Amino acid sequence: MMEYGYYPGCSLTGSAKRLDQGVRQLCKKLGHSLTEIPDWNCCGALEYGDRNELVSISGENLEKARGMCKEIVVPCPACYKNLKDADPDRSFNILSPLELLSTGNLSQIEQKRDLKGQVFFPYYGCLLMRPEENSIKNRNIMEDVISVFGGDVDGEKMKDRCCGGNQLFLNKWATEKLSTLILGKTKGTVVVFCPFCHMAMQTFAVGRKVIYLTDLLLYVMGENKSL
Amino acid sequence: MNKRDHEIVFKHTGYRREDFSVCLGCKICASVCTVNDLTLNVNPQELLMKLFVGEKIEEDHPLVRYCTSCYRCTAACPWQIRIPEVVRAVKESLGMESRFEKAFKRSLDIWGRVYEPFVVAMTALDLLKGGYIKYMPKWMGYAGFHLPHKVKRLKPSNASKGSNPSEEGRS
Repeated sequence: MMEYGYYPGCSLTGSAKRLDQGVRQLCKKLGHSLTEIPDWNCCGALEYGDRNELVSISGENLEKARGMCKEIVVPCPACYKNLKDADPDRSFNILSPLELLSTGNLSQIEQKRDLKGQVFFPYYGCLLMRPEENSIKNRNIMEDVISVFGGDVDGEKMKDRCCGGNQLFLNKWATEKLSTLILGKTKGTVVVFCPFCHMAMQTFAVGRKVIYLTDLLLYVMGENKSL
Repeated sequence: MNKRDHEIVFKHTGYRREDFSVCLGCKICASVCTVNDLTLNVNPQELLMKLFVGEKIEEDHPLVRYCTSCYRCTAACPWQIRIPEVVRAVKESLGMESRFEKAFKRSLDIWGRVYEPFVVAMTALDLLKGGYIKYMPKWMGYAGFHLPHKVKRLKPSNASKGSNPSEEGRS
């Protein structure tokens, strides 16, 4: 049982509400409590050319969290990167929900279903993996999760390629080409953790399901009826 | 893009001119660049060199237009130079931001958060003209209604903020 601060980020209040609900539900199941940083503001995403401005916008959230918590759970990979960049001294422990998972604590959860006979493509995209100093600690955690519950894993070589998600509303042909490239070289249900990747993959996948890892875990725990 | 714009790029990224002198010209950034998956033949190293020697960067540079901020170049670079952030600063100094990007920042200025319905409304014409309507059936799962929430900011927004760039550069 741990108590964490929680920074949902803008997209998790809207288009990625599903990820927000999944993370909250999953943490509850794992016995963790999440307390939202009061009046958190946007992290600036990838929209600012002025690094000082970006760090200042993101850093404001850390000021708001100061004295309240040391460990902050940040599901969106863009927010995760920006909050880490705003905290070069590492006075906070910025965590992706993926970093709350381990094969150890997964084997303790009450398993209602397994993933036997199903193929999954765990897709991390960019910002959980790069820049390296901001990367999640276990870069195979999604594979570990899928394997623990008996699922088959595909697409190792494509797991950290770019879907072009942040070009979707600027140059959609570019996103289509990049996402299609990844989809064409992999098979099975696409398992993501990034709202950008979810939207890009969902838009261009044909006959393939695109889910968040939280959907998969909640299915295994008997919460979601189907994948 | 003139000399003054180059200075703005250095100021905004926190890099100093001499930070790019270490570039070995290995072009490993070009070999991993996602923009080259779009067969656009870009070389990020060439952009760094232009900034280093103070050469003009053309406005329709495909790297500036299409960089996806994937950081594959940074991960491969022997000096871990954050080229996407340099590209982003160049894009802004060239005034190449799209209506979508401007709406995003405007929302942040108004509410302190990105309110997606506002961004959609501000870019509705582009979405219509750009042929995005056909994706609507696939996007139904993203729809949902919530009112914007205005947050208290600790610092004034950019419009009223004086510039206070870091003098130290990057480590």
